[in-house]
Amino acid sequence: MSKTSSHRGRINRRTVLAGTASLIAAPWISSTARAQAKQVNIGVIMPLSGANAQFGTNSRNGIELVADEINAAGGIKALGNAKINLIVADATSTPTTAGTVAQRMISQNEVTAILGAFASSLTIAISEVTERRDIPLLTMSFADQITGRGYKNIFQVVAKASALGKAQLDYTVAIAQAAGTRIDKIAIMYEDTAYGTAQAGGLRAAAKAANIELVMDDAYPLGITDTTPLINKLRASGAQAVFPVSYLNDSLLLIRTMRQQRITIPAIGGAAGYVIPDFEKGLGEFAEGVLSIAPANYDLDTGLTDRFRKRFGYFMVHEALEHAVALDVLVQAIEKAKSAKAEDVTMALRGAKFTGGWTNAMTGGAVEFDSSGLNTASIPVMVQWRKKELVTVWPKDVAKGAAEWKS
Amino acid sequence: MKRWIAIVVIVLVAMAVPQVLNPSGYWMRVFTLTLLFAAMAQAWNLIGGLANQLSLGHAAFFGIGAYTSTILLLKFGISPWIGMFAAGALGGLAALVIAVPTMRLQGHYFALATLAFGEVARVIANVWTSLTGGPGGLSVPFVPPSFAAYSFKQLLPHAYIALVALIIVTVIFEVIRRGAMGYRLRAIRENAAAAEVIGIDTTKVKLQTAVISGVLTAMLGTLFAQVAVFFDPDTAFSAASISIRVALIAIIGGVGTAVGPILGAFFIVPIEELMNDLFSSGAAGLSQLIFGVILIVVILWRPRGLVTIFEALRARLQGRGAQS
Repeated sequence: MSKTSSHRGRINRRTVLAGTASLIAAPWISSTARAQAKQVNIGVIMPLSGANAQFGTNSRNGIELVADEINAAGGIKALGNAKINLIVADATSTPTTAGTVAQRMISQNEVTAILGAFASSLTIAISEVTERRDIPLLTMSFADQITGRGYKNIFQVVAKASALGKAQLDYTVAIAQAAGTRIDKIAIMYEDTAYGTAQAGGLRAAAKAANIELVMDDAYPLGITDTTPLINKLRASGAQAVFPVSYLNDSLLLIRTMRQQRITIPAIGGAAGYVIPDFEKGLGEFAEGVLSIAPANYDLDTGLTDRFRKRFGYFMVHEALEHAVALDVLVQAIEKAKSAKAEDVTMALRGAKFTGGWTNAMTGGAVEFDSSGLNTASIPVMVQWRKKELVTVWPKDVAKGAAEWKS
Repeated sequence: MKRWIAIVVIVLVAMAVPQVLNPSGYWMRVFTLTLLFAAMAQAWNLIGGLANQLSLGHAAFFGIGAYTSTILLLKFGISPWIGMFAAGALGGLAALVIAVPTMRLQGHYFALATLAFGEVARVIANVWTSLTGGPGGLSVPFVPPSFAAYSFKQLLPHAYIALVALIIVTVIFEVIRRGAMGYRLRAIRENAAAAEVIGIDTTKVKLQTAVISGVLTAMLGTLFAQVAVFFDPDTAFSAASISIRVALIAIIGGVGTAVGPILGAFFIVPIEELMNDLFSSGAAGLSQLIFGVILIVVILWRPRGLVTIFEALRARLQGRGAQS
């Protein structure tokens, strides 16, 4: 008898613990994290685990730097020195999860705005939620669809992927011309992701407009393990320059294989993997002289970006910088609206021009959103690896050094 | 009789839940996704539970469903309600195409073949840009809300649609399980050679099951697309977040039973969300790690699924009844 009752007790306790309790408790646990008075909740959704974790972490660092600085300087003045309260969550690498996280932030944390989410597919999934709930979403994702759908609550602080692809080609042609070389044959290789295909599309269109022959135009799967066939094709193609578009691991493999096979033609990367410290760490001397397009670069205002380097120990990568700018602009909009209500902040953001603060580190020295939410003041820059640092080399009016071109 | 009362009570509770949740809030979304995953795991259960063929390629049917209805809506303005049936037809066709060569495979070989099929579908969706929009994915356009257009401002109607879907799929599962087809499938599962000898056309029965499972999964893909609103090839044809997840839900809950996939979904989906909510702002991957540990503990504790909790409880209650 006693045996039976002790067994029954065990089952009951376990069942309750494993099953119902956690589920019943769930809504209450999250709601205890609710905002206290005098703070503005801002959601930060980033890929903090999975393939894009590094970019997500960089972005979060940039946002935390600005939030801490604003809070230390007395918070948001128009709202009685309210503090910024960042609500950070992992989007993983699944758009559906990113959308669910956005829904959670809006209904549980009552966020004023959301920043995120580096990868375009995650940002688009979040924008589907924010648009229906009228919450402003500020992003540095490149994809053209982001501001191409006529949505009213989305703000893209950098140039679009197609503009980046076009600049990647046009700037290269201009740099080569300045060095006395005429380019008429190029190779493109890109990963088959949203980012890779969109940027390759921009490159292709620009090449056609400039009457440049595409002697190679190949997509390859993300996470490619053997790049030898691609590089062999590149060697045979007779291209004068190669335009690889990829995240980190693929970029390391491509450039290393190329240089090991003594293919020395200029490589002009498509941002992402080509403009982070790990690129140089992974490639060493092979990184020297590699060019890349970038939506922004830290050397445009080292007064600002050195604060990042001091705190985190590496240079302020462009995604960190652009997210810092996004938060700065958002806070300026809250100050202007004198309200932390989402719809007031959206009104203050739309069609407005922001200057000062972190916008100084952007090309154009300002952020100005058009009616679609795109920052029209931002133009891409060409950067080049020089002794473990990225130097802006084009366009000439913002360049911090002259481009080295070895054809 | 008792069983029917229990079923009616559960359905009534499930119908009441959306009424107390915020109509377009977070828990409504989690509830809706949970119901959809329960329905998908139930559709998987037909082939995985009754026919005992471990499919790891159901994302193929799911993705075909999501893409079919959305492409029909985008290109021809056809309501997803109609698109859903086109999706089902294509999903069934795909199931037939894959089942014919793979049904003779056993165990791991079948699992691997189906896994490959899901991946092939993903690659095709990535490459066939003119049809699928390629890696950039598809957004379901936001048309003026109406039931006929399958467009709603809130999540509430989606929750009820998902609930109805789960009930329909569960009824189909039970009807098949209890009917002649269920007996044939069980005979094949126990001993395929013996089943052939007593006159069961094993290939035909397995094919029928695979096609029904494919049709249902594709139709659920349409419902999912309407809730998620955006998807790309890596999401819709994902091995990890669709194929394996659906199988995992059925296995954690209890394979081959009607209650199993529902229990599994109501365990896995909310727990995963809760872990993401509580831990994902901390160390990278911590939430997934804790989630994984919970899964391992549950599998070790209940290797035959959560459904065995009820069996154990019932046995204990009956044992006590006999004693007293």
